[in-house]
Amino acid sequence: MPALATYAANVAAAIRTSLMDRTNFTLQSVGMIVNDVFFLVLWYMFFAGFRKVGGWGLADVALLLGLIMCIVGVSGIFFGGYRDMAATILRGEIDALLTQPKAVLVRLLARESIATAWGDLIMGIWMLFTFAALSWSDAALVLAGLVCGTVVYIASAVAYASLAFWFSGARSFARDLTDFMLLFSSYPGSIYSGATRLIAYTLLPAGFVVLAPVTFLRAPSLETFFVLVASAAAYGSIAALMFQLGMRRYRRGEVSTG
Amino acid sequence: MRSTPRPHAELTATLAAALSALGLGVRRNLANWPILMGRALFYLVIMAVLSALWDKVAGQNLPGTLANVLPPGGLTLYVGATEWIMLSIAAIHLRLEDDIRFGHLEPQLLRPKPYLLQRIAEAMGDTLARLLGIAVAALVALALSGRSAPPAIAFAYVAVLGVFGGAVGVLLYTLVGLSAFWVRRVLPPYLIMQKSMFILGGLFAPISLYPDWLYQAARLTPFAANTFIAGNQMIAPSAAGFVAGLASQLVWIGIIAILIALVWRAAIAKILREGA
Repeated sequence: MPALATYAANVAAAIRTSLMDRTNFTLQSVGMIVNDVFFLVLWYMFFAGFRKVGGWGLADVALLLGLIMCIVGVSGIFFGGYRDMAATILRGEIDALLTQPKAVLVRLLARESIATAWGDLIMGIWMLFTFAALSWSDAALVLAGLVCGTVVYIASAVAYASLAFWFSGARSFARDLTDFMLLFSSYPGSIYSGATRLIAYTLLPAGFVVLAPVTFLRAPSLETFFVLVASAAAYGSIAALMFQLGMRRYRRGEVSTG
Repeated sequence: MRSTPRPHAELTATLAAALSALGLGVRRNLANWPILMGRALFYLVIMAVLSALWDKVAGQNLPGTLANVLPPGGLTLYVGATEWIMLSIAAIHLRLEDDIRFGHLEPQLLRPKPYLLQRIAEAMGDTLARLLGIAVAALVALALSGRSAPPAIAFAYVAVLGVFGGAVGVLLYTLVGLSAFWVRRVLPPYLIMQKSMFILGGLFAPISLYPDWLYQAARLTPFAANTFIAGNQMIAPSAAGFVAGLASQLVWIGIIAILIALVWRAAIAKILREGA
């Protein structure tokens, strides 16, 4: 509970900071909305020409995009520190947190709130309830998918960032891996087979970030719900374990920082 | 007494300095080969996803759709060329944003060489090196994939058009970077420019597949000169198309360069009037 209270206080401060420069905040949020609209237009034109890809139509891709935009939006607003976590570790900024009694990971995640993420969240919600043809009665299911997808997304980002405890070159590599995961999460699940499918359900878990929630929303059942929850628990545990192991190295002074 | 007029000598010196900056950009990227390899890896990951998409579309071949007009082998080779250019373009907008926002620009203005030309030349050098590095990865991947390759002349056309397409991209990003004089962060204009490049430049699919009105509009934009013209030579190589495409790219390079000069002049006037 103290960790939760610390997180809430930190993230509230981060959000207030991101809102301070109103013009910049508005420009960034609106810029992201325009960006997302372009992305939707791209897929609209694609399906106007090709109708379906492996059984996926525009509504399915809109559901996928709506979910991933919401996930990236929520992650950026409430856990924005994940984006530069590897750099934070390598700059030695954890030192200051270690002198304080509160949990390190939650403070790292809550240290920043990304302004563009609001644009993603607004567009994601709009897309889910327009193009993806969901109704408000689906809100509970959407929320379940969103929470589990966000957990897998953040957990993966934390796991990638934790590589910085072992490798000094992980600074941009962690960001690249997160971007790769996003890339995999932005295309219809039906295109993946063989090696790409294996990658999408393991190393770059787009399968669990967004494809499993899409399956759950299209065909809600105990089985699809279990896949969601189990994947969130598994990736959450892996991330926590990697971060803790990395922190042990950090405390022993085995991580080169600066 | 000097026989060469002074303006001519100044122009020569300026161009020599720009050439040095271009060389610096190339050498710096080649020296940072692990980062170049990372870019090549990113290219391969994107291509894995996009080739999966286009192979699926070509494989299902739904009647009454555009799948019937796709070239044999789908659009993987086309997308391979457009992504090659797009991922090679140096992020000059971020460099300009940093210089403008953090006050690094003003000291540069006192120096004898034109700041903006130097930055653009450096970014062109970065882009050239990336084009080279990613091209190697692309050719190796193509050879290993077992896909049928286009005729050899197509590679020559794409190599030339790719370089000039990259130059168009650098100049477009320069315009984005200069927007930092008016908006502090260039991310919003960058995203709009980037997505315009995606759609009107035909990054994922040739603009010739668009409805006719949109195709006619898109081909008249610099975005088509950025990626479509080179990509199209991969699926429909022709000498006439190559010459017309190259001419279009050169015209756009000229137009955007003039636009950049005008924006730069307005920006400097703003700095002199209002301060940084």
